[in-house]
Amino acid sequence: METIKNYLEAMFAGMPDTPEVRRARAELLQMMEDKYNELIAGGQSENAAVGTVISEFGNLEDLAEDLGLTKEVQEFHDTESIHPRRQISRDEATSYITNRIKKALFLALGVMLCITSVACPILSAEGSENLVLAGPAFMFVFIALGVGFIVYSSFVDSEWRFIRRQLCFIDMNTASYVKERRRSFEGIRALCVTLGVILCIVCWVPCMLFATTSRVTIGPAIMFLLVGIGVFLIVYANNASKGFDILLRLNDVKTISGNYGEPAPETVKYRSKAAETVVVCYWPVVTSLYLITSFLTFRWNLTWIIWPIAAVAHRAVVINCRKYDD
Amino acid sequence: MMEISSDVIRGYNDTMILFILEKEPSYGYEISKQIKNISDGKYLIKETTLYSAFTRMEKNGHIESFTSDQDPEGNGKKRTYYRITDAGKEYYRAKCDEWGLTKEVVERFIEH
Repeated sequence: METIKNYLEAMFAGMPDTPEVRRARAELLQMMEDKYNELIAGGQSENAAVGTVISEFGNLEDLAEDLGLTKEVQEFHDTESIHPRRQISRDEATSYITNRIKKALFLALGVMLCITSVACPILSAEGSENLVLAGPAFMFVFIALGVGFIVYSSFVDSEWRFIRRQLCFIDMNTASYVKERRRSFEGIRALCVTLGVILCIVCWVPCMLFATTSRVTIGPAIMFLLVGIGVFLIVYANNASKGFDILLRLNDVKTISGNYGEPAPETVKYRSKAAETVVVCYWPVVTSLYLITSFLTFRWNLTWIIWPIAAVAHRAVVINCRKYDD
Repeated sequence: MMEISSDVIRGYNDTMILFILEKEPSYGYEISKQIKNISDGKYLIKETTLYSAFTRMEKNGHIESFTSDQDPEGNGKKRTYYRITDAGKEYYRAKCDEWGLTKEVVERFIEH
């Protein structure tokens, strides 16, 4: 029966998504199912029954005429022949997902190295003269490595670039396979994002703990390490899972096959361009402020207070800048 | 086995369906099975042809569709059923007369 369903789905894939077409598909499936069940009950093998049902099905050109869809079906065939959609097979989908996870890993590593790089000069700031110079040196090594990883991550999927440039499609089988993979990844994603957010929230705790000790710079150094790991987890999980959504949104949304995936999620909207800029620049500005005040005053035991304050203020900033449609 | 040319029979698919529906309301697969049985397996109507005929006849007011989960054997499966309308009965009579004439004319040109 699965074969019959897939056959019918493939036939309808290019038809416009209208109530008439949905009804036709449902009715035809019902007829095929009835016939299939009777053949099986009559003692036929599953393969023979599927063969009979499909060979006696007919073709969609007959149907298009009576459904008044001749124009649409013709248009579909025309665009297909000018810009043929490239099918992404199940195997290709599998290697695309693997590739996407690898890309996410390198990107996340790169971002993490860039964030943690700041810990080097902080740690060495209170040390001897040699150490004070070594800190920034290590920072630049970290940044160089990080940028290297980020650049590399953009080359990892170069063989898959066509997926964004060319019209592609997946069949229902591949779509349900991708959905299954996404479902099993959802748990990992949720864990990564939750851990990541927790790390980013508690990152200033070490600052507080070390504030009263003699080595106050350990706190901020650990803070950047925690943020680095937190951001790594979030970037990795979100980027890796984006691959599933890209595959599931390949099909033309106006056709029946457009339902295989899900509609694009609502994007965050801002009140104005300025509001968007404020939100986007918020954390980089806070980080810069923190580093500048800390290095200028050398009061590491006090400056960490910027973080909890900034976190609370962030919520208010976001609420005021976003546009909510109810 | 010789197959019926679908071009020739196309004009009479509606007649066959109306013939079956005049006896009692029925649904897709049941109708196609009856067509097969009545024709002694000489004519198999394709699912797409059948569904096309349903939509066309419904648009012309010859049949009506309704959903029911009670079929004659008492199986509780929800299906779309079709029933003939008065206009459909009238159309069926007209098609029967037309066929009588067609048969009579064509017959004169056929060597046995």
